[in-house]
Amino acid sequence: MHAAHRDQLVGSLLLIFGAIWTAVVYLTVPAGFGDGIGPRAFPLGLGVLLVILSAMLLISGFRKNRANADMPEDSEEIDAAMTRIDLRMVGSVFVVIMVYGFLMEKVGFVIATLLIVTSTLWLVLGIRRPLVIGAMAVGLTGGCWLVFGKLLGAYLPPGTWISLF
Amino acid sequence: MDLLLSALSVALEPTAVLAVVIGTFLGLVFGSIPGLTFTVALALVLPVTFSLATAPAIGLLLGTYIGGMTGGSVSAILLGIPGTPSAAATVIDGYQLTRRGKASLALGTAVIVSSFGGLFSLFVMIVSVDLVARMALHFGPVEIFALVLFGLSTICGLSEKSLVRGLIAGVIGLMLMTIGLDEMEGVQRLTFGTITLQQGVNLLVAMIALFAVPHVIEAFAEYYRGEHRHVDAADVTAELPSFRVLRSNFWLMVRCAFMGTGIGAIPGTGGPIAAFLAYAHAKRSSKDSSQFGRGALAGVVAPETANNAVTGGAMIPLLSLGIPGDPATAIVLSGLLIHGLVPGPMLFIEHPGEIYTIYIAIIIAYIAVLGIQLLGIRFFVQMLRVPAHLLGVGIIVMCGFGAFAIRNSVFDVYTMGILGVIAYALMRARIPLTPIVLGLVLGPTLEREFRTALILSEGSYGVFFSSVPAVIFYLLAVTVIVVHFVGQSRSARAMKQKTEQQQKEAV
Repeated sequence: MHAAHRDQLVGSLLLIFGAIWTAVVYLTVPAGFGDGIGPRAFPLGLGVLLVILSAMLLISGFRKNRANADMPEDSEEIDAAMTRIDLRMVGSVFVVIMVYGFLMEKVGFVIATLLIVTSTLWLVLGIRRPLVIGAMAVGLTGGCWLVFGKLLGAYLPPGTWISLF
Repeated sequence: MDLLLSALSVALEPTAVLAVVIGTFLGLVFGSIPGLTFTVALALVLPVTFSLATAPAIGLLLGTYIGGMTGGSVSAILLGIPGTPSAAATVIDGYQLTRRGKASLALGTAVIVSSFGGLFSLFVMIVSVDLVARMALHFGPVEIFALVLFGLSTICGLSEKSLVRGLIAGVIGLMLMTIGLDEMEGVQRLTFGTITLQQGVNLLVAMIALFAVPHVIEAFAEYYRGEHRHVDAADVTAELPSFRVLRSNFWLMVRCAFMGTGIGAIPGTGGPIAAFLAYAHAKRSSKDSSQFGRGALAGVVAPETANNAVTGGAMIPLLSLGIPGDPATAIVLSGLLIHGLVPGPMLFIEHPGEIYTIYIAIIIAYIAVLGIQLLGIRFFVQMLRVPAHLLGVGIIVMCGFGAFAIRNSVFDVYTMGILGVIAYALMRARIPLTPIVLGLVLGPTLEREFRTALILSEGSYGVFFSSVPAVIFYLLAVTVIVVHFVGQSRSARAMKQKTEQQQKEAV
């Protein structure tokens, strides 16, 4: 993806976000009363500011596009594009964190960590060495449980379905 | 004197000393591994401090900060890859020294001068911080608003290449902090009627998401692309430089330490700028500048002294005014807030004992840096061999625990996941993440002081220009923006001329 196209895409997305934000703030937050400004002014002003700045980014994208029309794309810019691997990893890490949160609540920190480390190594990274997976899962879970739970006395989620510790 | 003695007894308690040493060790580990910056380490260590007493908590954070700043030189010298951005200037001559078989000397020198730079800046900080705080004691809402605005103007310096992108990032940070219950009128803002969103986006959750999650995604993607780093430095130790070498570089060290402290005291600048300026200064002032870039020891001495001197400098606005200069100090600030220490002029009146504890913790951290690096340099060389994707799995666990521990809420783990993915997308869109942090940290104060000032003045906007310090801060903010804008348009013009010349040559 060329830098100009990236600026256009990012500028457009942020512009839409800024516009929606401004509209939601205007419709849902009361303006306030008395001297000074109320609770609406700051988020509203910031939304408008984001719209203006995104529009500037969008315009600079169009300008760059016109200026670079005859020039070949340089390799650095192509590298900057999101590859399929990047997107897959973004999705994977997102799912891992969400499932980790869910499991922490349902089966507690210890089982959740064991499951998450094992499945991340096996499913996300494709590692098939039982020794590495076992050592990482037991080491990380045991280490965290010992240091955070026992040594520092931090509260580790016990789990509503099963509670081991 | 009594305060100092009682602070000494608190700071020298075994748990407090152990916390500093552990923090320093973690900082050194994270700092020495390329890609894993000490900001990530601080974001992960922060939730751990909740269950600690004040002194060990401060010690753990400061140790991590200082260790991380020093650790970056290990991979810079051995691999030619800076462990942290602050060590980028060290690569130029440090890596050349390794190629000439002098890695041990380069590492040993880096450790010594780093500690010198850090302790020197601590001394300058102790002398100046009280003075700045005393001046700031007279500040009302107008002055604090102007000061925070000045703090935000440093977004320009943190914007990397594009000012618009930096400003977008700053605005996003400010926007995030308006979500939740409005603290002045108790009105719900963008909560969509949910109870969980009433507490707003937690600053610490956002920090973990911004710095740790994108790192994990990158580490995993690199693993899939088959990108691995190779370490070939099996027989490396830390060799102390001779007294003659240190004596010949002494004044360079002093100058670079001053430079680093001064630059560190300006919010929004930080280690990388100080290190490069110090390197340029060393090259300019050297009798034989042709050696620079080929393995000159002064090329390691200058940037390493300066980037560590930044730590003391950055503590001046942090402690006296409550303005963090970079993400790392922003996390330290959050840690202090958790333990009831609100950085700013009142800190020196309400918690003088803790101030001394901070000073002592910094000294212990530098002693620990010296000891750990000189004795255990081999360990850090081995750490460079641990694959980044396996470290990434460990970081996911730390992130999960950290986000949960902040409010014992799984909702924060989900928020961290969502914000982390957004942070990665913004990073790939070349929107810098650091201004977001500045917006997050300074946003609530900016709004609160602005609204308080207006209420006190019964709605008159003239109040914002009624005080001399406030006007000075506005002028400083304008100066920062203008200087940055001029610099940027100059470099853009130079780039354009270069491209045109290249096109002409091609024709």
